[in-house]
Amino acid sequence: MQYFKDMTEIQQMILVILGVLVFATTLFWVWKKMKPGPQVDELMTRTKSWWIMAGIFTTAAVVHPAISFIAFGLLSFAALREIASISKNARLEDRSIIFWAYLAVPLQYGFAYMGWFVPFLILIPVGMFTFIPFLLVLKGHTQDIARSMSVIPTHLMLTVFSISHLAYLLSLPELPHFNAGGRGLLLFVVFLTEMNDVFQFTWGKLLGRHKIIEKISPNKTWEGFIGGLLSTIVAAYLLRFLTPFTTIQALGSGLLIACMGFVGDIIVSAIKRDFGLKDTGTAIKGHGGILDRIDSLALSAPFFFYYVYLICY
Amino acid sequence: MKLVLLIFIYKLVMPVLLKIVGVRIRNKGAYHGQKQFIVVANHNSHVDTMALLSSLPIRLLIKTHPVATATYFGKKKWLAFISNLFVNTVLIKQKDNALQLLEQKLKKGHSLVFFPEGTRGKPGEMQAFRSGIGVLLKAFPHIPFIPVWIEGTGKILPKGSFLPVPFEAEVKIGAATLAKGVSVEEIVVEVQTAILALRGRE
Repeated sequence: MQYFKDMTEIQQMILVILGVLVFATTLFWVWKKMKPGPQVDELMTRTKSWWIMAGIFTTAAVVHPAISFIAFGLLSFAALREIASISKNARLEDRSIIFWAYLAVPLQYGFAYMGWFVPFLILIPVGMFTFIPFLLVLKGHTQDIARSMSVIPTHLMLTVFSISHLAYLLSLPELPHFNAGGRGLLLFVVFLTEMNDVFQFTWGKLLGRHKIIEKISPNKTWEGFIGGLLSTIVAAYLLRFLTPFTTIQALGSGLLIACMGFVGDIIVSAIKRDFGLKDTGTAIKGHGGILDRIDSLALSAPFFFYYVYLICY
Repeated sequence: MKLVLLIFIYKLVMPVLLKIVGVRIRNKGAYHGQKQFIVVANHNSHVDTMALLSSLPIRLLIKTHPVATATYFGKKKWLAFISNLFVNTVLIKQKDNALQLLEQKLKKGHSLVFFPEGTRGKPGEMQAFRSGIGVLLKAFPHIPFIPVWIEGTGKILPKGSFLPVPFEAEVKIGAATLAKGVSVEEIVVEVQTAILALRGRE
């Protein structure tokens, strides 16, 4: 116990996460043996991606921080590629413009790595928002051009702008008396967002009666949402040592992460429904997989980032 | 020398490029235990040939030839040379004894990668199959065909474009099958059905 107390916040947290992962993996493994089904499979793929995330995080913490930026950049790239592939809204002749949209990924993560805050902030909502429509206009096909103009920048916002805020947490300046730093904040928001998903799922299974929006996400219930929200707030309170927050601010961050995780989740669900990926029969297996992984992070990451930025920096 | 080059391209460089671009190859195990075959696939993009060659086991790489039209790749001497060196192609003219060259290769125990549509179609569309594949399989009834369904490559690099753009695509390899049909037409239909059957399968 003394040894645990002597460790830094990050080391303690990595140990806690390893414990949670080992516990979850064993639990789902036993569950699958006893009662196999699609829900366990979904939980198992989730756990698998957590292992990967935890592995990357630990490697980055030990070897070099740049690894985190590259890993998040690849995640954004794969998510952008996925949404560009399944979207039925972009036209075939937009492919050469989508090529330029991919360029936003190395630029955005380059800015994040360098800690150039204003370029990081404006690249997509100002730069790409202008550049993409301009290229589309140069191509000259006006049929459905307005749709392409709005869809391609939206894809960039959802997959690149949002997730890159996780990386930028690592470039935030040092604060006095706050040892965990950007790495602590990153762990805090990712861990809480993922846990919020699990809490919502579990409370929904246990008590769920009243559906919130059945047409979009039939498994989401008020009981699950509120149970998840309260659990996440408690978790935020327990993990506040990873942040520079006061107690009240930590509780607020838990509330924010739970709400925005939920909103991101249902927005991505609605998009997938529009693309026909939620209806059985038309679904191509494996498609939509990366979007499923980033859905709740897509909003909790930028909202948490600006929350901590406005309060503490 | 050429073998080293082909292994370098299709076993080292191409898998990385395909991964970045987003091409997933399913069921590579279909080649297991096969010595000679004709891979037949729908055709939307040059990416198809690249993906199929890199899906092959190393031992079969040098002995497998994508079939290409001389009217396209044989236009200039250097283009024909390069496509043979880097893609291991055999070029055929779409005329009289076009298939003779292919029969020679098959008699030597080599395998082919064959696109029965004859040319790349529009993205997502499959054109009518030509009869060549039926003639070949009828002449070599002991050689199985391996059906492959390719989806999404037309968006990556469609006909007429030189700029590859990352999009998700899938290459589904089916099981090696001996053609049962008696006439050329029957075999063509059989091959086409086998390819289309892979479409919905995981």
